[in-house]
Amino acid sequence: MSTQTQTETTNRSGLAQVRDLWNEYLPYWMIAPMVLVMVMITFFPGAYDLYLSLIEEPTVNVFAAEFVGLEHYETAFTRGGAIHSFVITITVVVSALVLESLLGFLLAAFVAGVDSGRLKSFYRVLFILPMAVAPVSLATIGRIMLNTEIGVIPYVINTLTPLTAPAFLADVPLLTVILLDTWNWTPFMFIIFYAGLSSVPDTLVEASRIDGAPLWRRYVHVIIPYIKPVVFVAVLIRMIDLFRTFGVVYGLTQGGPGTATQLVSINIYEQMFINNAPGVATAIAVVYLIFVIAIANVIIAKVGFEGVWD
Amino acid sequence: MATSDTTPGSSQRFEKGTRETLVTIARHAFLLTWSFIVLFPLYWLASMSLKPPGQANSLPPDWIFLPTVYNYLQLVQSSDFVAAFANSLLMVGASVVLVLLIGVPAAYVLSRYDIPKERDVLVWILSSRMLPPIAVVLPFFIIFQTFNLFDSKIGMVLMYVSINLSLVVWVMKAFFDGIPETLEEAARVDGATQFQGFMKIILPAAKPGIFSVAIISFIFAWIELLFGLVLTSFKAVPVTLFVYSFIGSRSIEWSMLAAASTAMIIPVGIFLILVNKYLAAGLSFGVVIKE
Repeated sequence: MSTQTQTETTNRSGLAQVRDLWNEYLPYWMIAPMVLVMVMITFFPGAYDLYLSLIEEPTVNVFAAEFVGLEHYETAFTRGGAIHSFVITITVVVSALVLESLLGFLLAAFVAGVDSGRLKSFYRVLFILPMAVAPVSLATIGRIMLNTEIGVIPYVINTLTPLTAPAFLADVPLLTVILLDTWNWTPFMFIIFYAGLSSVPDTLVEASRIDGAPLWRRYVHVIIPYIKPVVFVAVLIRMIDLFRTFGVVYGLTQGGPGTATQLVSINIYEQMFINNAPGVATAIAVVYLIFVIAIANVIIAKVGFEGVWD
Repeated sequence: MATSDTTPGSSQRFEKGTRETLVTIARHAFLLTWSFIVLFPLYWLASMSLKPPGQANSLPPDWIFLPTVYNYLQLVQSSDFVAAFANSLLMVGASVVLVLLIGVPAAYVLSRYDIPKERDVLVWILSSRMLPPIAVVLPFFIIFQTFNLFDSKIGMVLMYVSINLSLVVWVMKAFFDGIPETLEEAARVDGATQFQGFMKIILPAAKPGIFSVAIISFIFAWIELLFGLVLTSFKAVPVTLFVYSFIGSRSIEWSMLAAASTAMIIPVGIFLILVNKYLAAGLSFGVVIKE
């Protein structure tokens, strides 16, 4: 028997050895590329942003950099418009999140209640369509339809109603951004809530109906608690994405008029590529990063993940 | 809603009937209104792209017009647009394949093995999505210039992978959690290696998840503007940047812009309609088991 093992090991081709190595460490091989990429896209940019934000200006020789402490942070928050852009961003995130959640839920509940199956799938397909529109195309739509001179929406408002249409991009730019984003991304909330509502067992709803619970009670006490994990995941993911908003605003107003729609991402972009101030840009980026991660973590800790991950 | 404390008797049935009717009316009114809100901008954009340039921005609008493909012909003849569109299809497509190759096996391991601090690992993965792209793009701007990746398709593919990897891992982990382990165990009893079990049993079972996560990744990469703005200049320009540069030009050619925007929506729209059945399951991160 020992000789057999002997011959087996000596006869092993390189290929078989590779195969054994593959099988033995399979989980490691399978997860390694992901870990590698993840390290590259999380630790590296964070560390580099931090480094850039602390030095006078980028140099070829990393070690020759002159550290200036928190100077860039001070500039960012005094003259860099950081506070203003934080306030604007939070306004947009909160308003759009509330609007999209409510609308998405209402649409999902209404479509789920439609009797005809064919009509139901028609609505479902129709309502997810705005998601196909890239923010930059949405900016196009906005600029075409809201334009004071050639836009159909001001035209309709002015001719069909006694009201005078505002110059959307000049007078109410932030509201315009919020409404356009709501149009674009309510489908995301709709489709997730719809899936959640479809998963509520009929028996559960039936039981509360027989108990005589009115419609709103059925939702508040039975259905919403049941789909809480779905609501939670949808809101969290959408919130994270809202903090990244860039394309629609950049295409629509480029942060203007003045700094009226200068979201944090636009502010960073301008500091970096227009003002040529990488230190200030990365200082804002670092604060923003910590801010977003902190908020997300607070929400995860508060709401918890029961039902989301076993 | 005021009659929530219902009293027994025949009046209750009557009230209930009225209420249900009201709900039905409200339901249809709301659904129709929203349909209109969804469709009108899409219709407007499409119709504008089909009008001759002079007619595109006339007010009052010409509701009846002779559709022309003039703008699309102009667009196709502009080599910039064709190049950008092809670039996007190629780069986004490649990034979806790559992100699936990296993310799906990793999600499988996260689902099947005991990973220490698994919850923290998953939050860490999600945190890569919390990094605003603008914060990510600055370091990569420098790196790309050092390694000759600036304005290269490979560089853009890598950036697209970076925005989608966390979603792929999250969605697929949830999907694998929903597939009973007994399936692979049976395959192993029949002599398959673990890898074979994964390839031949688990992957086919998770097909709906892979479809939906592929389309979600495609959308998020397809609509990305910032990376193109910062990391490309000529060779690897994505279609979003092409549309944007149209807006940026001093005198906007509205009908061409409408045509370019419509052309950008079409492939994604078709995808969405084709996979909408799977989409719900994918986007809800497996929180919802049955649809």
